[in-house]
Amino acid sequence: MEIKQTALAGTLESSDIQIMLSQGEKGIHFDLTSDVKKQFGEDIMATIQSVLQAYDIENVLVKVVDKGALTPVIKARAIAVAQRALDLKDEPNWEVL
Amino acid sequence: MVEKIRDLYLFSKASKKQWMAFLEEQGVVDFDQAEVQPIDQTLGLYDEQDQLVGTGSIAGQVIKYIAVSHAGEEHPGSRFNQIVSALESDLAEKGCFHLFVFTKATYQEAFEHIGFRTLAKTAVGLILEKGTPNIEQYRASLPKKPVDAGQTAAIVMNANPFTKGHRYLIEQAAQENDWVMVFVVNQDVSLFKTTERMAMVQKGSEDIANVVVANGGDYMVSYLLFPAYFIDDRDQAIRFQTALDAELFKQQIAEPLGLSARYIGTEPTSHTTALYNQQLKKILPPQVAVKEVPRLSQDGQAISARTVRQALKDQQLSSLADLLPETTLDFIKTNQEAIMERIAKGQQIHGN
Repeated sequence: MEIKQTALAGTLESSDIQIMLSQGEKGIHFDLTSDVKKQFGEDIMATIQSVLQAYDIENVLVKVVDKGALTPVIKARAIAVAQRALDLKDEPNWEVL
Repeated sequence: MVEKIRDLYLFSKASKKQWMAFLEEQGVVDFDQAEVQPIDQTLGLYDEQDQLVGTGSIAGQVIKYIAVSHAGEEHPGSRFNQIVSALESDLAEKGCFHLFVFTKATYQEAFEHIGFRTLAKTAVGLILEKGTPNIEQYRASLPKKPVDAGQTAAIVMNANPFTKGHRYLIEQAAQENDWVMVFVVNQDVSLFKTTERMAMVQKGSEDIANVVVANGGDYMVSYLLFPAYFIDDRDQAIRFQTALDAELFKQQIAEPLGLSARYIGTEPTSHTTALYNQQLKKILPPQVAVKEVPRLSQDGQAISARTVRQALKDQQLSSLADLLPETTLDFIKTNQEAIMERIAKGQQIHGN
């Protein structure tokens, strides 16, 4: 699916993660800021990527500012931002959940 | 412990007094009307005793007047992050995903920590951006330099309106270079609208083969982003702002795009522009040469867009033929009514 509009979810508070999706070309591109990038950067990106794939989002710029979020939080924020970016706010995709 | 974010309405005298008192405590003391007026929204962070412990504002797409008190803060930085985060969410709801901040060097790390990227830095302060479309996307959107172009040059102009003087500057650059890129200032605060200025420059230079015209985006001479609130002296503020603009042009535009020179006109009248030219000459070389071209004169007087605007105001249209190329004259004739109406409505004709 194509990104319909730029969207933002999450906050910059401790234990949260802020994710922004915008239109991109040729694949999923990450820009990750995190204090624990070295240790968990790959995991964070993999979690987000799996959600994006569940929504069939193939071309997208993903800007992430992580503040030490746990995996369920990352997943929840990724789902929220994907729904917003695809303009599907009112039609939750239960299978992803 | 839960601290809450609330809107802080500056039109209420009591709120504004509280807001100013708090900022003064944090060392922010300039509440010049020119700085406070453009604010669209102000947020306050309140602790459990309902004391103001943090604030931040948005003017257009610029974060301003951000300050937090660290007394009783749970984790260092948490209040700062909470404020910026709330401002970003509010902007996102309005559909704005691209923001800037001007700040002192001491806050560089705090902003980079939450995903901002430094665009340019001087000894006094720096400018950062976050979101999309960012500088890389802007650069990608520009016309590409031909591979065989050796000497290339850039010109930045407001062209309010496009005069024979602008045309002369472009001609000079086009003669001395293989390829010339003309950036038109994007900010829409002039008598002639951005689309009109773009069109006038395009029309007025389309017969010169090695010239392309591009919109300057958010990155060229954007006076909207005025950082004077943390600098006391206006002249110093202008110097700082123009230095930042010059650094930004050099680091983010000229060098990545491979532009080897920037052409500017000599500035006999405007103090701000004279200071700006001074900074360009100081900062751009040696990587980017600065070529100052003497202004084209008509009957011993330098041609300036300001004279044209004055003539329009005074309805002295006959005098314009000496100052404007055919293309701009045609444009003004076709749109005369709309332009006159803008002047009648009080559109500033001074300034740039």
